[in-house]
Amino acid sequence: VSAAAPSPERITEALRSVRDPELGLSVVELGLIYGVAVDGRTVRITMTLTAPGCPLGAVLPDGVRAAVGAIPGVDAAEVVVTFDPPWTPARMAPIR
Amino acid sequence: VTATVGATRASPSVGLPLRYFAAAVVALLTASAGAPWLARELAGHYYQPRLFALTHTVALGWITLTVVGASYQLIPVVLQRPLWSERLARWQFALLTGGVVGMVAHFYIGEWSGLVWAAGAVAAALALHVCNVALTVRGLARWTFTARLVALGHAGLAATLVFGLALAGARATGGWPGDALAAAHAHFHLALLGWVVPMVMGVAARVYPMFLVAPEPGGRLGALQLAGLAAGIPLVVGGLLATPRLVLPGALAVAVALGAHAAWVVRLARERRRPRLDWGLRFLLTGTAFLAPAGAAGLGLASGALTGPRAALTYATLTLGGWVSLTMVGMLLKIVPFLLWQRAYAPMVGRAPVPTLAQLGWPAAERVAYVGLTAGTAALAAAVATGSVGGIRTAGLVVAAGAAAFAASLARVVARAAAGARRLPAAGPAPARSP
Repeated sequence: VSAAAPSPERITEALRSVRDPELGLSVVELGLIYGVAVDGRTVRITMTLTAPGCPLGAVLPDGVRAAVGAIPGVDAAEVVVTFDPPWTPARMAPIR
Repeated sequence: VTATVGATRASPSVGLPLRYFAAAVVALLTASAGAPWLARELAGHYYQPRLFALTHTVALGWITLTVVGASYQLIPVVLQRPLWSERLARWQFALLTGGVVGMVAHFYIGEWSGLVWAAGAVAAALALHVCNVALTVRGLARWTFTARLVALGHAGLAATLVFGLALAGARATGGWPGDALAAAHAHFHLALLGWVVPMVMGVAARVYPMFLVAPEPGGRLGALQLAGLAAGIPLVVGGLLATPRLVLPGALAVAVALGAHAAWVVRLARERRRPRLDWGLRFLLTGTAFLAPAGAAGLGLASGALTGPRAALTYATLTLGGWVSLTMVGMLLKIVPFLLWQRAYAPMVGRAPVPTLAQLGWPAAERVAYVGLTAGTAALAAAVATGSVGGIRTAGLVVAAGAAAFAASLARVVARAAAGARRLPAAGPAPARSP
């Protein structure tokens, strides 16, 4: 019996495991996730990076795709990186 | 701008910059041990072969190797285009390190014909670096602040190495046709202002907002940095070589550039979203604070208010040992753990728990490094200014202890990253692919 399609909450929980190594914050806390869309068993994540030349430019989107793709019920995970609107520190959760 | 995953993969293999950084740290350890060893010479006049050996260990071994390594890591990422040739950069590393060792050794023993060959190797290696970077940025459409400073820095590097070769050749064939001391001053300032300063400012503009999590400040302070350097470098160098009255206006223009840089860093620090400062960030901010005494000493020398070899050596200590070195230590405490993390853990992100950079570090050693290098450099500058041999020796030992702690902290990061990578499961492909 295959798992049901994942809820947005389950996807957000998976995204919290993808962390920026410098700041120790997840892509959710950093405000890098712009959108989560579920279409059956396909999940589409729209995200940004802190800047177009971010050194983690390949790492974080790959990590997001892996984390979401590992959720039971997800057959395909698509990640789209956008810089519109550009990220600003105001999107972050407070750092202790 | 929208991109699918994989569109931003431009960075070179992490082993390339890491080998430059490893050699640079060895040079820092050598130079910091050299300060107490050469205390008597440092208390006298700087125009002597053993102090040239020390200066080139710092300027070429520590600073230039670090800047070249950082540029190979950051230029492709920041400009979003791959390095023209990684293979060339690897060959260039062997040539550059061999040349630097040869130059330092020949300066130390005062053997000038061998010095020319070693200087030729350094010049060839740096020319290859300039070509590699020029071919990498060729056709760049968007000239950001960092890209302009990188271009300025590499033009300055090209001019410095031509000038340096001319000096070495003249030394081997009977002497410089003119004031040799003025030529040495011009060479030093061409390297410092033309190569090191633009690269430090350019890299800082890109990485400080990321490290401090602060919005990038607007364009006026950036324009002042660029305009001040572009106007000041030719005036200072031309003034030192031929027309002394140009030196002070040139120094004032450079002071405007450095003041704008310091004001920019202060603004970033005040607007940062990261309340706690780790030791790397403290190094960066303390390094910037050294700009105040270094700039004052430079202006004092340019105006004639300060004179003599002790004042000049104090200025060099505050500039190279203070601002530049402390800034570079701070950057390496950030960049090296990131590169090792990238190699060891990046493939596991999203697949398994991975450590943060802070968890790879060794804060106790970083604290010792911070105290030793900041307090030691300040004390060394004071001891050089007063010509105290005992003071130079003591301060030099404190600097050496700080450098050793810095090297130990990086070694711990290497060991932790390697051990952690061995414990992780091998990364497989992502469980679900984009359609």
